[in-house]
Amino acid sequence: MEQKKHWQSFGELNNSEAFNKEVQNEFKEELPFVEDESTLEKGESFLQTKAPRRDFLKYVGFSTAAAAVAASCEMPIKKAIPFANKPEDIVPGIAEYYATTYVQDGDVVSVLAKVRDGRPIKLEGNELSPITAGGTSARVQASVLDLYDTARLRFPSTSGKEASFEAIDKAIAAELNGAAVIVTSSITSPSTKQVIAQFLAKHAGSKHITYDAVSHSAMLLANQASYGKTIIPTYHFEKAKAIVSLSADFLGTWLSPVEFARQYAVGKKLDEKNPAMSRHIHFETVASMTGSNADEKYLCRPSELPMIAAALLSAVNGGEITGITDAKLKAGIQAAAKTLTAHKGAALVVSGSNNVNEQIIVNAINNAVGANGSTINFAETLNYRQGIDSNFASFVEEMNAGKVNAVLFYGANPVYTWPAADKVKSGLAKVKTTISFNAKLDETTALCKYSIPAPHFLESWGDAEPVSGHISFIQPTISPLFKTRAFEDSLLKWSGDATDYTTYLKNYWSAKLGGETAWNKTLQAGVFIPADVNNIGASINSSAVATAVAAVTANKPNNKIELALYQKVGIGAGQGASNPWLQELPDPVTRATWDNYIIVSPSMARTLLNIDLNNAGQADAYEVKPPKQVVKLTVDGKSIELPVLIIPGTHPQTVGIAVGYGRAEAVGKSVIGTGKNAYPLASIENGLVQFASSNVTLTATGETYPVALTQTHFRYDTAQGNRTEVMKEITLAEYIKHPTEILEEREAELKPYGGLENYEAQGTIYPVYARPGIKWGMSVDLNSCNGCGACVVACNAENNVAVVGKPEVLRGHEMHWLRIDKYFSGDMDNPKVVFQPLMCQHCDNAPCENVCPVAATNHSSEGLNQMTYNRCIGTRYCANNCPFKVRRFNWADYSGADSFPDNQRDVLNDVVLDMNDDLTRMVLNPDVTVRSRGVIEKCSFCVQRLQAAKLDAKKESRPMVDSDVKVACQQSCPTNAINFGNANDKHSAITKVRVENPNRQFYVLEQLHVLPNVTYLAKVRNSEEEEHAEAAHDTKAAHDTKAEHKTEAAH
Amino acid sequence: MHIKYESQLREPLVYGEKNFHQVTEDILRPIEVKPSRLWYIGFFIAVTLLLFGVFSLYREVTYGIGQWNLNKTIGWGWDITNFVWWVGIGHAGTLISAVLLLFRQGWRTGVNRAAEAMTIFAVMCAGQFPIFHMGRVWLAFFIMPYPNSRGPLWVNFNSPLLWDVFAISTYFTVSLLFWYSGLLPDLATVRDRAFTKLRQKLYGIAAFGWTGSTKHWQRHESLSLVLAGLSTPLVLSVHTIVSFDFATSVIPGWHTTIFPPYFVAGAIFSGFAMVQSLLIVVRKVFGLTDYITIGHIDLMNKVIVLTGSIVGIAYLTELFMGWYSQNKYEGYTFWYSRAYLFSPYGWSYWGMMTCNVLSPQIFWSRKMRRNVFVTFFMSIIVNIGMWFERFVIIVTSLYRDYLPSSWSVYYSPSIWEVGFYLGTFGLFFTCFFLFAKYFPVIAVAEIKYVLKRSGESFKPEFEKLEAEPLDKFVHDNAHAH
Repeated sequence: MEQKKHWQSFGELNNSEAFNKEVQNEFKEELPFVEDESTLEKGESFLQTKAPRRDFLKYVGFSTAAAAVAASCEMPIKKAIPFANKPEDIVPGIAEYYATTYVQDGDVVSVLAKVRDGRPIKLEGNELSPITAGGTSARVQASVLDLYDTARLRFPSTSGKEASFEAIDKAIAAELNGAAVIVTSSITSPSTKQVIAQFLAKHAGSKHITYDAVSHSAMLLANQASYGKTIIPTYHFEKAKAIVSLSADFLGTWLSPVEFARQYAVGKKLDEKNPAMSRHIHFETVASMTGSNADEKYLCRPSELPMIAAALLSAVNGGEITGITDAKLKAGIQAAAKTLTAHKGAALVVSGSNNVNEQIIVNAINNAVGANGSTINFAETLNYRQGIDSNFASFVEEMNAGKVNAVLFYGANPVYTWPAADKVKSGLAKVKTTISFNAKLDETTALCKYSIPAPHFLESWGDAEPVSGHISFIQPTISPLFKTRAFEDSLLKWSGDATDYTTYLKNYWSAKLGGETAWNKTLQAGVFIPADVNNIGASINSSAVATAVAAVTANKPNNKIELALYQKVGIGAGQGASNPWLQELPDPVTRATWDNYIIVSPSMARTLLNIDLNNAGQADAYEVKPPKQVVKLTVDGKSIELPVLIIPGTHPQTVGIAVGYGRAEAVGKSVIGTGKNAYPLASIENGLVQFASSNVTLTATGETYPVALTQTHFRYDTAQGNRTEVMKEITLAEYIKHPTEILEEREAELKPYGGLENYEAQGTIYPVYARPGIKWGMSVDLNSCNGCGACVVACNAENNVAVVGKPEVLRGHEMHWLRIDKYFSGDMDNPKVVFQPLMCQHCDNAPCENVCPVAATNHSSEGLNQMTYNRCIGTRYCANNCPFKVRRFNWADYSGADSFPDNQRDVLNDVVLDMNDDLTRMVLNPDVTVRSRGVIEKCSFCVQRLQAAKLDAKKESRPMVDSDVKVACQQSCPTNAINFGNANDKHSAITKVRVENPNRQFYVLEQLHVLPNVTYLAKVRNSEEEEHAEAAHDTKAAHDTKAEHKTEAAH
Repeated sequence: MHIKYESQLREPLVYGEKNFHQVTEDILRPIEVKPSRLWYIGFFIAVTLLLFGVFSLYREVTYGIGQWNLNKTIGWGWDITNFVWWVGIGHAGTLISAVLLLFRQGWRTGVNRAAEAMTIFAVMCAGQFPIFHMGRVWLAFFIMPYPNSRGPLWVNFNSPLLWDVFAISTYFTVSLLFWYSGLLPDLATVRDRAFTKLRQKLYGIAAFGWTGSTKHWQRHESLSLVLAGLSTPLVLSVHTIVSFDFATSVIPGWHTTIFPPYFVAGAIFSGFAMVQSLLIVVRKVFGLTDYITIGHIDLMNKVIVLTGSIVGIAYLTELFMGWYSQNKYEGYTFWYSRAYLFSPYGWSYWGMMTCNVLSPQIFWSRKMRRNVFVTFFMSIIVNIGMWFERFVIIVTSLYRDYLPSSWSVYYSPSIWEVGFYLGTFGLFFTCFFLFAKYFPVIAVAEIKYVLKRSGESFKPEFEKLEAEPLDKFVHDNAHAH
């Protein structure tokens, strides 16, 4: 049978030449990638060109695979994904958690890394660690972004040119034949220390110098003098009923803030039935986060601190207070002494000073009040800071004398942080072999011949011993993104040890823990917890005390303006400066982002800037205009010009500047144009770096500089009334006397609308509906919150909150879903401070919901106020109508998610563009939509986590319980200030908090009948001052009322 | 006893010895001659402004609302200020055409055409702001309640913004119909006088085949009455609903029950001021001083002083309530953010008070009311004042609301924000120039209607009639039917 022929065209039927040509050409229209048709040779078809379709597909494939390549291919499997769980459990789209440890220049926090499809995207505190108990800090939360930093060094180099590891090893083997000096920041890793020891043994005459940018040298030396041990004992704030801090920012930047914050909060948690709290008295030079949390705060000059210590020692021993003239300060010392002696055995004094004498006196006070063995434990040591400045100072001298052959830098960045940086530079020029292991081309690395970048901790193996006996392990969560090599690997190689560090570490711990199984198990938990030890004291050498007291009292203060340099919670010694999340984190004290500045007191502002904050017009002018006056500060011939911020709670004759700014441009886009380096203003006395100076002159320059503040007004009392519906605070004494005061205040506020009892039904003309099932609720304890900002950065990381850069923050365009409001009350020269984390209140009667014309924001049956980004057309009516102003609008294409091409350039700065780099975008959480331009966004109560928790419970056919879900802010909080859960569940923690704290609980702006689902527990302050004031108030009530009216009118 | 045909109290509505032909000639002349150099200059400026506005919008749509200086606290600024301002201006037209028609106010004939045109153009301008203030304007169709495949997903009928959509689109439609139906007889006149074929054809189409038959006139009159009846409630409803954008919110300074009447009074106030600004120029440039007379200006100034005082009372009531309510948040907004001259925006509140309440009081003087220069100056002042009013309501309420932590830095507009506003001026005047060139700016037919009662040339006939004794007139007309 003849085959039937089917044809589609005459061309096919006749098999014409034109038809055949057509068939050859698969794409009848031109393909876009051939730029010019004329490049085609005659008769050549597209398939025969140099860039045919296959190439095109290759390009597409390459670009999509590029990110994946970095994460998976090429590398040996043992380094790629460190399976702590069985491989069959890994499902794409399901996050895996690996226990690891955040380590940065001596700081250690045990964390779990959340890994999605091979990418670590979020860090959560490791709740198994008894030290931090799941708490984190802003810097820990932000460190995951450092992994994807585009400014990281991507390959080893010799004199700035890329080189292979082999070539460098060869060159160094030839050069490194004499003694070498290893300069590192504090190393807490026992195995690294052993590797260093091995290296030092191999290279005779070599030494290891620990150099901390902001060191605790004086503490170490004072402990040497007092106790004969160059160690820092552990502190137990949770056991202290009386805490006195001499300008030690122990909640923010001092030693181990995450650990101390957790401990401190224990004493601040209030049991309503049995109210008792620790009392914290703080002596403050420049307003700090810790000082803001103090129950009582006294202002002093930095130079007065040693004398205060001496006076306090005398007072606790029952002696007279001498050498202090200021009456307020004297009263403060008396109050501190009274509190300390009243709580003997449960008292603690800490000092942030780098003055050995002062620290010796503090040791004596602690000894006198029975802190040793109770709140201070000598059985365990804190290893966070081990550097002694004088060692480094003499090393700098040696370099300059030409006595150093080779120097290895790891973590340390003295060219930036050492006050006499020029000497480090000139010294380095005389060293033949300079090697840096730092991850970025920082100031020191730039001057080193060899650069062998170390991997990020999320790419590394390692261990850390923050507190003696407590080990926290580091395991990689992603294979190294770049050609990096662990510092230890280099040292091992150069000491002639063929083992790689991974094996070395495994062997080291397998031997210690008793086998590989134990090692694997410990690694999975992330921490090794030793047996409990009893707190022990140490006998003090009192002869050193007398000398110290004599030394400090001999020093008479002058009346000049003093300078105190401090570290910011986010930026630290400068490590955070290149991290956009940390730069955009509002500083807890000033609420400023992206810059450093000079902090002055309101009284200095009057004389220096002609701004009187008590004058409404001047205060307004200062607040509403971002450009701030620039002042030139000169100290010992060195000067700096910075804008001035007026921060109440600063000593009238003291100014403060944060260190950590003015970094080299190579460390990241974030540092460009943000702040100036204040390290050169520090001085070196007896080899120790002093971050205070007492001979400062300030001159106005007449210029202004814009400072990006996220909050401009800090008082909730106005001439038209005190906005107590916003914030409620009370003293412990008042609370004990009258526990229901806040409850009654609420009752009075709601009286016109049916009172507390009937408010929900009678406050509205609409019917009230039952809310069965799940009802999500949050409670924030203002007593526990210390304002550290860990939650803010955690929220950024979890919810893909965009970084907008300084120019946009200046215009009030920051995107933070969660902010920490700060309010002052009382005396404006030394005010009380309270922090209030504020996120979407998820109102049950939400004013934002009914005004949206397209119903893009609506209420879920579980009490969530939801945002439907796809539906949002961006009228911003909801944001206007939100009484809490928590809604954020995408003013520009911050995330690169927009369909309009090329609309970021010239509108957004380099930081934002950098955040949109393919590498940086790897940090994005795939569970959360990246919002596009023109839509409103806001806190969702981490709805992705809630859904996951419900699903988990459903899969296991059980009701959801508290432990199923922790929202990002709650998880990150070192003090457990945030409680979250199902408020309809009688057994949930949130219900428990609400039931147990009826007297302190309040809703912000409750009288509006928006019915928020977030409750706050009022701030209770254990301050004695207030009681005195109260008594005085009663006796001359009539007189005071008048005066009060006057002050109110002034604001 | 004799009848007086000419009012002894009211001044004539049309000056000069005019007959019907003369009226047609006078009013249609600008349409039939080449425009003056002044017209070209004006038109060029208007189009330039319009193009600048288009470019400003291009910036906004491409780069985001961040091109404007709004922020997390101040979500609306110049955009909605300008929206309310333009809607307010759009009020006089309907009021003149509908309410005054129903009240049989003969003087409306001189000004209604231009006022209605102004209304339509002003509402067109106003409409740009709510549309382009959207972050994602390309999705603006989401606000239309239409059956869709998204669920179906409906709009939120609780939202005042949605009510705005309905209120303004209804108002625009009715105003447009009213204006156009009134134009029909005049367009037919233009068609009949056409000197080119094209002209005849285009105006012919536009005139819908008007022949001037009695039936046409009868239907025309009925339609006018029906539309007048329809638009009268709209005069009240549009600005009432616009005021709901604010009144139904929870923000101190917005959450006020006084807003609906206060907004309507303000709208009429600004609308009449805008009519004055425009007509004082038009009557001079087009030589129509005989039709838009000092008497018209005088009457409109009376409306201005009345509505200005109503607005003033509203301001004082608000201030009083700010104190009397003893609400600290409201108290702060009214007494500090607004009434305290030295607060950051105190200047705008006192600017508003001066322009809207104090300065119009000079119109209690007849001499001032009848002074063209004073009127022109005051009409500009009033419109500035009314712009301030909207700015005060929106910005001073938002920038410092409940939580002191969210208080905003000082807001001032960006170049593109100002550009958008200027662009709507461009749109308005481009439309108005085209209108003045291609349409009769005064309702010819309606002028002719009042001419017999008011025109000089008809007075001799009055005299003849008036000479007739009353008894004879009664007797002659007693058995007319």
